[in-house]
Formats: sequence, C-alpha cells, structure tokens
Amino acid sequence: MIEFQNVSKVYSNGTQALKNVSLHVDTGEFVFIVGQSGAGKSTFLKLITCEERPTAGEIVVGEQKLTQLKRSEIPYLRRMMGMVFQDFRLISKMTVYDNIAFAMHVVGASSREVRKRVPYILSLVDLQDKAQCHPRELSGGEQQRVGLARALVNNPRLLIADEPTGNVDPTLSFEIVDLLNQINKRGTTVLMVTHQHSLVKHFQRRVVEIKNGSIVADSCNWEARHD
Amino acid sequence: MIDNFKYLFKEGVRNIWSNRTMSLASVGVLVSCLFLTGAAVLFSMNINAAMKTVEGTNSVKVYMDEGLPVLSAVKAGEEIKKLDNIADCKFIPKDEAIEKVMGMLGEKDATILTGMTGKENPLPDAYQVSFKDLSKYKDTVSKIRKISGVESINDYSDIAAKLTKLDRMVTTGGFWIILILSLVSLFIISNTIRVTMFSRRLEINIMKSVGATNWFVRVPFIVEGVVIGLISGAVASGILYLVYGKLTSMLTSITLFQTVSINSLSASLTGIFLLAGCFFGALGGLISIGRYLKKEGGDVVDW
Repeated sequence: MIEFQNVSKVYSNGTQALKNVSLHVDTGEFVFIVGQSGAGKSTFLKLITCEERPTAGEIVVGEQKLTQLKRSEIPYLRRMMGMVFQDFRLISKMTVYDNIAFAMHVVGASSREVRKRVPYILSLVDLQDKAQCHPRELSGGEQQRVGLARALVNNPRLLIADEPTGNVDPTLSFEIVDLLNQINKRGTTVLMVTHQHSLVKHFQRRVVEIKNGSIVADSCNWEARHD
Repeated sequence: MIDNFKYLFKEGVRNIWSNRTMSLASVGVLVSCLFLTGAAVLFSMNINAAMKTVEGTNSVKVYMDEGLPVLSAVKAGEEIKKLDNIADCKFIPKDEAIEKVMGMLGEKDATILTGMTGKENPLPDAYQVSFKDLSKYKDTVSKIRKISGVESINDYSDIAAKLTKLDRMVTTGGFWIILILSLVSLFIISNTIRVTMFSRRLEINIMKSVGATNWFVRVPFIVEGVVIGLISGAVASGILYLVYGKLTSMLTSITLFQTVSINSLSASLTGIFLLAGCFFGALGGLISIGRYLKKEGGDVVDW
C-alpha cells in the first residue's frame, strides 16, 4: 500500500526533515508511527498525502508513484485516504450528520447516496442517536468518533490518524483505537501516529519509530525493546 | 451533477447570508459603479441625439436689435433674402416667439410669462433662415452678421461644437470614474469573498483533505460573487430607470431636444447590467479564491 524508497526531504529553509527513509506498508496492515515532536512524523504524513514532495527518493501509495503525480491529480489520490486529526476538525455549525455528509458531497456523491451511507457509517461508530447533535454537545471521545466516521464515509483504502487520542480521555483512547482496529480488520490499511506508549503496548501491532528524520525502529515487538 | 450544482449553489448563497454586512457593501459599490456607467452612457446618447437634431435643422435664427422698427426689420430681411446661399427666410415676430415659449412651458408654468406680452415682451423680432448649401455655412453666417439691424445669430455650429466638447468631457471623465469604481468594486467583492473564505477555512481544509478538486472549492465563492453581481445589476438598472424617467419628464418641457426614451432601452440595459454584475462578481470571486488556494489554502491538510 505504501512504499518509501530512500526518501529524503529538505525544506527550503535548510531543515532536513527526513533522511534516506525506506519503508514498506502492506495492504491491510495496522502501523503505529511513534517519535518525539520534530522527529519527522508530520513530514512523513505530508509526503503520503502529497502536501509536500520529496527532495530525493520515490514514494508509491496504492499504485500511484507520487513523484510523477500532477498537482491536479492530488485530490483523486486523497479520495483513497481517510484522515483523522488530533483536534477533530469538525464544523461546529453543522450537525453530526451534516459533518459526515459534507465529506460525501465534496467528492460528488448524490443526495440519495448520502442518505443511504451516512446512517450506516454512524451506526459503525455507534453514534446513530447523535446524528442531529452539534459537535459542542458531544464529549471528546464522541467528537473523535464523528471524525472517524467522516474519514470512513468515502470508503478509503488507507486511514491516516494523526494522534487521534491526543485530545481524548485516556480510558476513551482505547475505545478509539479499538474502533480503528475493527476498521483495519475490514481490510483498511491504518497508519496511526501516537505518543501514548500504553496504546502501542496494548494493541501489539507493527511500530515504526522515527527519530531525527530516520527510521530507528520497525518491529512488532517494539514495546519489549523499548522497555 | 444536478445534485452537486444544487449543493454548490446553496453554499454560495449561504456565504452571502452569513457575511451579509460585507456583501451589502459590495452590492452598494457595484450598484454605484453600474449606475454611473449607465448614466454616462445615457448622457452620451442624449448628446448624440441633440447633435443630430441640431445638424438636421440646417437653419439659424437671426435676432434683430431690440426696439428696431418693424420697417427696418423687414428691410434687413430683404437683404438676407438677397444673399446667394439662402433657401428660405421666415420672419418670426416677437409676439409669436413669446407665445411659442409659453406653449413649451405648458399651461401651468406659462403663467409666469403672462406679464411679458405686448410691449413688455423682452424677446426681439427674428428671422428663421435656412441655407441651400451647408458647406458655405460659415461664410453666409458672417455675411448676415454684417447686415444693419442684426443683433445676433443663434449659430448651431457653436452649439454642436460645445455639445461635442461636453460629450468628450463626460466620456473621458466617465471612463476614469468608471475605471476607478470598477477597480474599487473588484477590490471590495474579492475582499468580501476573502472574509467568507477565512471564516470557512476549516471547511476548505476538510474539503482538501477528503479530495475536493480546486474547482469544487472555488464554485461556491464564484456563486457568491455572481449572486452579488446579479443583485447589484438588478438594483442599479431599477434605480437608473426611475431616476432617468423622473429627470427626462422634468427636462422635456424645458429643452429644445427630444430626450432618449429609456423604455425602449430598459430590456437591453437590464440585460447588460446583469451581465456586467455577473462578470464583476465572478471575477472578484476567482481573484480571491485563486490567491487563497495559491497561498494559505493550497494543499493544506495541515498535520
């Protein structure tokens, strides 16, 4: 699903964010990305979503070589991805239903498709009773579930979650990752950036650690090594 | 497709309502710009119509000295008729002239001139003289001026020159005023839309993250500009129609020329105003969203 071959990224101010990174993520995998602030995690995600282009190396997402991707083709690449943000990024004046429907309208779905799909996605994240609520009426955990529902509504092949539990109560964090786990079991590849070691330990998945722009660890027993 | 268009149109209208103060300011400036443009065009059309009337007349009015005895006036008339280029020379006694003025003013306003008839009549006797050959116009006029008893000549070539000068002034002045107002309109419309854009940057951000094309992001803002433009066009043509109608009905009784009727122009005027409004609105929208997508909102998923 994702292939990084000797990828480096140097910003115009001279900052080297990634150094010669090579990584392969298979379709259907669940990968935790860990590392301190400034390690290069954001650049890694930006390169996958094509918000930034690599200075050197090759990136393949799905069947697309990102270095050959035209600017006008980027939106279509992003349609195969779902994104979940730490700060939820829900539109406060829209209801839960409209927040999710909005993501479908954007990619040109018809009203009929929206009416059919949104309730189904809401039931997946167990928020069918909150469809007409506004984000401010929901808890942090519920808001993040709406964010997750929005990311899933267009049926993405790859789900990128940037610290999805960062603004959520620790006990609810497990619920969120559990949901991501269930989504992954349905075949969606999941990349999750996190700082919470407890989650990484608990879910026993592949962990990629980035430090100073390089991958310093990539294993399934990362927590044992880290302990 | 229709669903999409309905959605984008609704979004554009929603933008206007949620940002109504700035939208109102945009409408105000665009209405002023369109109104002034229309006023300048109508003024120019009237000047042209007046010039055609003057050119078509092919005659001058020769005014006699005040208090000139009728016999001397007749003698002067005979001398005018003797000139080469004279096709017709008709005597207009001052009593007939004042009656004509009273007729032009209408029954109500003519009462102010009732004390000016008979011996109190301030108008001089005159001749309405028409020429055979217009190319000898200036030469003939100067010959008439030399005849004893002739006080002045109402020389329409002077009026035509003055009207041309006035038309040029209005066209040049109008051009610059309209150009400046157009730029101001574009600036205000694009800034109005920019304010909407900043207030909706989270939505744009989410749109970009789920794979919206730049055109999908642009359309609601272009719709916003077009709707502002259409409202402005309709309001401006309505105001111009009313103001021009009132003004011409007031002026018809006191001008020598027939003013251009706005009724025959109203459909094309409204159409042009609506098109111009659309153009300005869409351009304002395109400028601001273009700048935004290039800089702040380019590809921001913003991790």
